[in-house]
Amino acid sequence: MKKANRILTILMFVFLYIPMVVLIVASFNTGKDITQFEGFTLKQYTELFRDEDLLGLLGNSILIALLSTAISVTFGTLAAVGIHRLKPKMRKLVMSLTNIPMTNPDIVTGVSLSLLFVFVGTGLLGNRESLNFGTLLIAHVTFGLPYVILNVMPKLQQMNPALTDAAMDLGCTPVQAFFKVIIHEIMPGIVSGGIMAFTMSLDDFVISYFVTGSDFVTLPVEIYTYTKKPIQPKVYAMFTLLFLLIAVLMVGMNLLQIRADRKKDSKRPESRGWRIAKRCVAGALVVALIVGGGFLFFGNRQEKIILNVKNWGMNMADGTDGTLDIIAAFEEKYPNIKVNMSYYESNEALYSQLKNGGITVDVIIPSDYMIDRMIKEGMLEKLNFDNIPNFRYVDEEPFKNQNSYDPTNEYSVPYTWGTVGILYNSKYVDEADVTGWELMWNENYAGKILMIDNSRDAMGIAQYLLGYDVNTMDKAQLQACADKLAQQRPLVQQYVMDQIYSTMENEEAWIAAYYAGDCMLMMENNPDLRFYLPEHQGFNRFTDAMCIPTCCKEKEAAELFINFLCDPEISGANMDYICYASPISEAKQYMEDYLAESDIIYPSKEVLAKGTAYRYLSEETSRFVEGLYQNATKTVDASGPDNGWIVPAVLIVVMAGTMVLLIVTRKRRKL
Amino acid sequence: MSKELIRLRDLTMEFDGERILDGINLYINDHEFLTLLGPSGCGKTTTLRIIGGFLTPTSGTVTFDGKCINDVPPYERQINTVFQRYALFPHLNVFDNIAFGLRVAKLPKEEINQRVQEMLEIVSLKGYGHRRIQSLSGGQQQRVAIARALVNRPKVLLLDEPLGALDLRLRKDMQIELKRIQQAMGITFVYVTHDQEEALSMSDTVVVMDKGRIQQIGKPEDIYNEPKNAFVADFIGESNILDGVMLEDYKVRFFGRTFQCVDKGFAPNESVDVVIRPEDIDIVAPDEGHLVGTVTSVTFKGLNYDIIVEFKGFKWLIQTTDHCAEGSTIGIRLNPEDIHIMKKSEYSGMFGDYSSYSAEYDELTEDAGDEEE
Repeated sequence: MKKANRILTILMFVFLYIPMVVLIVASFNTGKDITQFEGFTLKQYTELFRDEDLLGLLGNSILIALLSTAISVTFGTLAAVGIHRLKPKMRKLVMSLTNIPMTNPDIVTGVSLSLLFVFVGTGLLGNRESLNFGTLLIAHVTFGLPYVILNVMPKLQQMNPALTDAAMDLGCTPVQAFFKVIIHEIMPGIVSGGIMAFTMSLDDFVISYFVTGSDFVTLPVEIYTYTKKPIQPKVYAMFTLLFLLIAVLMVGMNLLQIRADRKKDSKRPESRGWRIAKRCVAGALVVALIVGGGFLFFGNRQEKIILNVKNWGMNMADGTDGTLDIIAAFEEKYPNIKVNMSYYESNEALYSQLKNGGITVDVIIPSDYMIDRMIKEGMLEKLNFDNIPNFRYVDEEPFKNQNSYDPTNEYSVPYTWGTVGILYNSKYVDEADVTGWELMWNENYAGKILMIDNSRDAMGIAQYLLGYDVNTMDKAQLQACADKLAQQRPLVQQYVMDQIYSTMENEEAWIAAYYAGDCMLMMENNPDLRFYLPEHQGFNRFTDAMCIPTCCKEKEAAELFINFLCDPEISGANMDYICYASPISEAKQYMEDYLAESDIIYPSKEVLAKGTAYRYLSEETSRFVEGLYQNATKTVDASGPDNGWIVPAVLIVVMAGTMVLLIVTRKRRKL
Repeated sequence: MSKELIRLRDLTMEFDGERILDGINLYINDHEFLTLLGPSGCGKTTTLRIIGGFLTPTSGTVTFDGKCINDVPPYERQINTVFQRYALFPHLNVFDNIAFGLRVAKLPKEEINQRVQEMLEIVSLKGYGHRRIQSLSGGQQQRVAIARALVNRPKVLLLDEPLGALDLRLRKDMQIELKRIQQAMGITFVYVTHDQEEALSMSDTVVVMDKGRIQQIGKPEDIYNEPKNAFVADFIGESNILDGVMLEDYKVRFFGRTFQCVDKGFAPNESVDVVIRPEDIDIVAPDEGHLVGTVTSVTFKGLNYDIIVEFKGFKWLIQTTDHCAEGSTIGIRLNPEDIHIMKKSEYSGMFGDYSSYSAEYDELTEDAGDEEE
């Protein structure tokens, strides 16, 4: 029976730790693909330590964790002492009140804090930038505090109350008694509460997401916005290091505890050397915290103009894979400006962030129909084109003439453009079937089709197929499109955005609708992939353009930045990274030839003429379309008709078996 | 006796509307060993905590050296305390525990060192300075607690049941030790205990308390020999307490007989409580006795036998070194100085009847007393 127990215990640890093992292995993998281990490398680690942005973000996370922990520990301990002095009935009530924030769903806490901060900051104090470093810190303290209180309270209750009396009896004021006696008694509680608050703060995403301003972003929030492409392997390396750091911390704590327990029973006095060593370590830690914290804090706060840019993830060259680091080049040219980049995952997300308010954003790069909407709702500033002389490089046709979103060319400067077409794998897909959008509905490829997961593009595809206007507001037509999508549902393997990369490259799916630039990147990784634009039916032609929202603070710097990005040389280098088309023809000479000459990136004029742009529908129609789309697609199980339930079921059975066995053996021993 | 140091005037204390102390008046002289004695819940620890400054009385004043110290916090009083369960600081070793008060007072290092070493010697813990508190025995911890308080050279040392957690043998040793320290250092001790033997053997003055009131103050001998009421008579030692009538000075009548006694000053024919200590009764042949009774139980106690004798339906406890067989008939003689007369009080009739006496009963009440407040 003992043996069985041991085996089950081991199984349980395997169950708990296997995800971490996978992550660690992935961080040493030569290949980019998680599913295949191709060889051992430390490349990811060297890349990690070269990536200042990523390290900066990690620094931000650690800084906020340290500061919030310090504040939580201080106030939490004081609060616990206060609560402890209350009468028992009152104490119980207060304790359950302090525990509620812990059990409260993070999302509720996050949204309510965000509302409060914007209400107080913007509403009462008139501060436009009401979400900032301070609010993030306050939010982290709010959820760290209860953990400290919860850990300190039992220690106070275990403490002999006469100790306080004794200290006062020997001449201590109540404050001295706290620092000379009580704090030593409750230290284990303070430390464990602090560690909990620290780890909670370090990995918090949900609450931070709602209260993060543009001036200070933590690692989890940033990583969430890396949605356009898969997470880079160097991030695995960072997670591995983080995991090891926390593991070492916890093991160290436990060892210290064991040592302390053993020491309590031993008659041997504590050796002087050990005591000095302990003090030195503690001192060094405190100094490191203060210096490190100060450095991080003030390092981030130079006397520079901070330019807040909100961009799609992976939508600007950052120096990886031999591309130009655009931000670095800009900051070199304008040393008094510091660019602070943050990300959004969809036009709609950007829209709601700006609408919610409380943040400062100087430059945004939304898509055409969203610009249309923002102009109509007065959310954009008119640009001063005296500051953007490079606008002259932007192609007349079709950007300056009668574009669909900013017909007067007052609010926007185009950044990239592209098309939506079909990516298919020529190994599996019969060329004869590649006749138009109906390929996405071809039953021969059931289960191997990926559909783009956003309402506007998906409905658009149905509209092209059915021959409707993509900007129609006719409900009957929209309903017909939704029916068409519902009809497609059984054939679709998944509705995807960025997961498309691995799925198509690994040939798990054969057909997908996606943006041309991304298709181009996938084709580089799998030569069997082909791109197809159903010219005869029509296709979406989109433009992403740079705008300045009304919540901007540094309009002139923003215009300098827009101007910089319109420099043909810069634009060309940028396109090498993002793989989209530049609205500046002159940029082509600075691009890699295969891109500049690609008819996927740059289709001919005749082909382009068949593309159409999305325009902003009314708010009501947008909502109607969204509803139709959700109804038509949502019930499909993302994992498809496979045997995905088996693994969890087996695990549950094993766990249940373990419990039963443990209970049975325990009972038998008692007998 | 030397000059008065502490005076408690009309002290009352209420917790949540419950009266814990009810009009305590007491003075404590310099160099005195004063014991607050009483059963659990009598208010003795509350009184001590008020003197120490840990509680503020609901009404009444505490004066120290002639000054009212009601509002003086504990850390500004020239008083130190030895707590019930020592309350030593677990994170400090023996030396640092004792040095605690001196360090708070910011004395020079050499002086601290010298005074702590001196104290360690006084409490016979020389060489234990670097020991951790957890590695000490109960008696050793007790001595550290005393040293920690005394090293500050207080004018008054308060001791709250300091020996309660020790076993009997150690307790006896420590009683002698404490008395020695008190005499050697010449400071005032205010000692709280529920153990009457401890109180009688160590104190200069004993204050017997019950229900938040002082029942009697006096020297140990006076308290024992001249208890003021049935409660004191019963709580201090064993007593047979009978209803009697004081016929005139020096003449008391009970059990249908008139006895000579040494008490006077009562009204003629006043009802009184008559106290007869079990060890004062002489056993004689039945025909020679003032009273004749039957032995109903015999318990061997080592030094003596406790025998219960029934007189006319009323049972007495008699302590004697001679063995009497159960069921035998004996006579007793009472000398005038063996009879102590007390005025009737609220405690009359509650104590001193051994009709339901059992040996275990005594032990039970003593154990209960350990859980003082």
